[in-house]
Amino acid sequence: MKKVGQWSAEEVSHWLSEEGMQEYGDSLQQTDGPALLRLTPDDFLTPPLSLVSSDNGRQLLERLETLRIEHHIEEHQKNGHANGHGRLPNGTAKPLRNGSLGLNGFRKEMVHIPIPMSEAERSGFPQEWGKTGVAFLYAVCCFVTTTVVISVVHERVPAKEHTPPLPDKFFDIFDRVEWAFSICEINGMLLVSLLLLQWTLLKYRSIIIRRFFFIVGTLYLYRCVTMYITTLPVPGMHFQCSPKLFGNWEAQMRRIIKLIAGGGLSITGSHTMCGDYLYSGHTVILTLSYLFIKEYSPKRFWWYHWFCWTLSAVGIFCILLAHDHYTVDVVVAYFITTRLFWWYHTMANQQALKEKSQSNPFSRVWWFRLFQYFEENVKGIVPRNYQLPCSWRSSPWSLGVKYSRVDTQ
Amino acid sequence: MALVDPTASHLDPGMDGESGVLASVFGVLPNANCPKHGQNTPADTKRCLRKVMGHHRDYVKISLPDTKGNRLPMEWWKTAIAFFYAIFNLVLTTVVITVVHERVPEKESSPPLPDKFFDYIDRVKWAFTVTEINGMLLVGIWVIQWLFLRYKSIAGRRFFFLIGTLYLYRCVTMYITTLPVPGNHFTCAPKLYGDSHAKMQRVLTLISGGGLSITGSHLMCGDFLYSGHTVMLTLTYLFIKECELICLHSHPLNIDQLLVCILVAHEHYSVDVVVAYFITSRLFWWYHTMANVQVRC
Repeated sequence: MKKVGQWSAEEVSHWLSEEGMQEYGDSLQQTDGPALLRLTPDDFLTPPLSLVSSDNGRQLLERLETLRIEHHIEEHQKNGHANGHGRLPNGTAKPLRNGSLGLNGFRKEMVHIPIPMSEAERSGFPQEWGKTGVAFLYAVCCFVTTTVVISVVHERVPAKEHTPPLPDKFFDIFDRVEWAFSICEINGMLLVSLLLLQWTLLKYRSIIIRRFFFIVGTLYLYRCVTMYITTLPVPGMHFQCSPKLFGNWEAQMRRIIKLIAGGGLSITGSHTMCGDYLYSGHTVILTLSYLFIKEYSPKRFWWYHWFCWTLSAVGIFCILLAHDHYTVDVVVAYFITTRLFWWYHTMANQQALKEKSQSNPFSRVWWFRLFQYFEENVKGIVPRNYQLPCSWRSSPWSLGVKYSRVDTQ
Repeated sequence: MALVDPTASHLDPGMDGESGVLASVFGVLPNANCPKHGQNTPADTKRCLRKVMGHHRDYVKISLPDTKGNRLPMEWWKTAIAFFYAIFNLVLTTVVITVVHERVPEKESSPPLPDKFFDYIDRVKWAFTVTEINGMLLVGIWVIQWLFLRYKSIAGRRFFFLIGTLYLYRCVTMYITTLPVPGNHFTCAPKLYGDSHAKMQRVLTLISGGGLSITGSHLMCGDFLYSGHTVMLTLTYLFIKECELICLHSHPLNIDQLLVCILVAHEHYSVDVVVAYFITSRLFWWYHTMANVQVRC
């Protein structure tokens, strides 16, 4: 289409009817492009335009404004070429500095819209490793606190002769199986390794591991509270609890470090303390690893999901079979892990739930501010995209392997 | 996409429904001049629009239903279902308490568990009565407030559903592991060992007394994890605050003080109260968040 400045009267009429303003067709019959551009509000107050206009020409003037800006840009571009200023960079609407065309009034009304050019800034899923670092520190704090609390609670566990194990429905039905707890811990280690492997292949590693640290930290923090306030007796007479240390701080510190070093597992021989029953940390890890594996792996790998689910379910069943935890410990742990995971992810996936408002009662939860800090820049559901870690790209073995949804940048 | 706003109140009341719809669809202001004929009065505009419609034949008539489209329908039958759900769960809880009572270990053989709160604060005898009286007050305030609500059906439905679900969870936790009595002051009714008739009577006594000790209906032990009193107190408090008809600042005690009373009376372990508060508040907030936010997938 020709530029406005070169329109004839016919083209002006055509434009008017296209814009739905054919009522001006008659009165502006003789107007060509440049004359059209020169129309002012005052023209609409006098005949003949006042007779046909129902809104004092407001609509027409608004459309004219758009035309004028286009015309103005074209003129500047032409002049820019002539003066050797070169083309405008793509994507930006920065007005050129010379106002030699005498259209200064328009320059004031033009708006500079900066468009960020980098991919990372435009992406809705920035990595933000700093925030992940904060989440990691939070999780570490919670783990250390848990270890200290276990050590403290151990001192208060009543002796099994004095307070026998509490009646438990599962223990009534199933007798104890000795090797069951090792199975539970092996399953747990398998699940965590699978999760770790899967995590290295994900593209948005930072966001996902941040969520894991936050959820696991919070769950262990809650666990500290429930363990500390009421102490349950040992669930079975088979328990061999270490002797109590009664104020010997150095020995307690050593115990704490040993527990941390062994990862809290009995299989490594680090966990010989009693009292940490409500609720079960093993169940938390088994459930949470399965939830993360399922959430961040492709939907079509149903066999993989079923395998992990079996590992998790068998692990949890074995905890009870070994009479190592009461049934209520396992049930509460399962409940709170699944709920926290689902709540967190539902809130993270909905933009409306990331704001504190009257219609979002869940924003009253104590960790909401921390949640906002972690998830404010994540726009929408994190896609399940996969990307090999950088150092593998140049490896010769990667050539023969086919992946889908792998990003190479 | 429909341009029509059925609740548009900016339309000229002088215009009838049909031309009102036409007018708002095509962005013609009620007092504007007809595009073709430039008339001024509403009657003229109507006539003109009809003529225009006849001439051009590219206008489409969209007939709208008369109702404003009720976004909050009452649906009392749903509330009735929620009510039956709640009743069912309350009765189930009573039955489970009776069953669990048989399994509570004797306080001589299984002493009360170590509890941090009990270590610091000694027992106060009348504290539990205070809790129960306040609980009844809160329930009374909630009922009065409910009577004044406009959307009684919806609020009632939510209350029944939440209370039903919370008591259902409570059945599970009470049944699977039995905690010993929290204090030596407990006088538990004797065990019945298979006497079903007497057990039924106990269930009925408990239901009729509302599960309160103050009415003398609650003589059974074992229903410790988690605390039903806490659930009731917390839930009614949250509902009252949510509906905000009666200013709660005028209430002499707030919820934390009430929950502490339960602990001061050594009637429940700390973990019972904490777990009950946690699960009640989270379920309440989560239910209302889901009900309020229209999720777009």
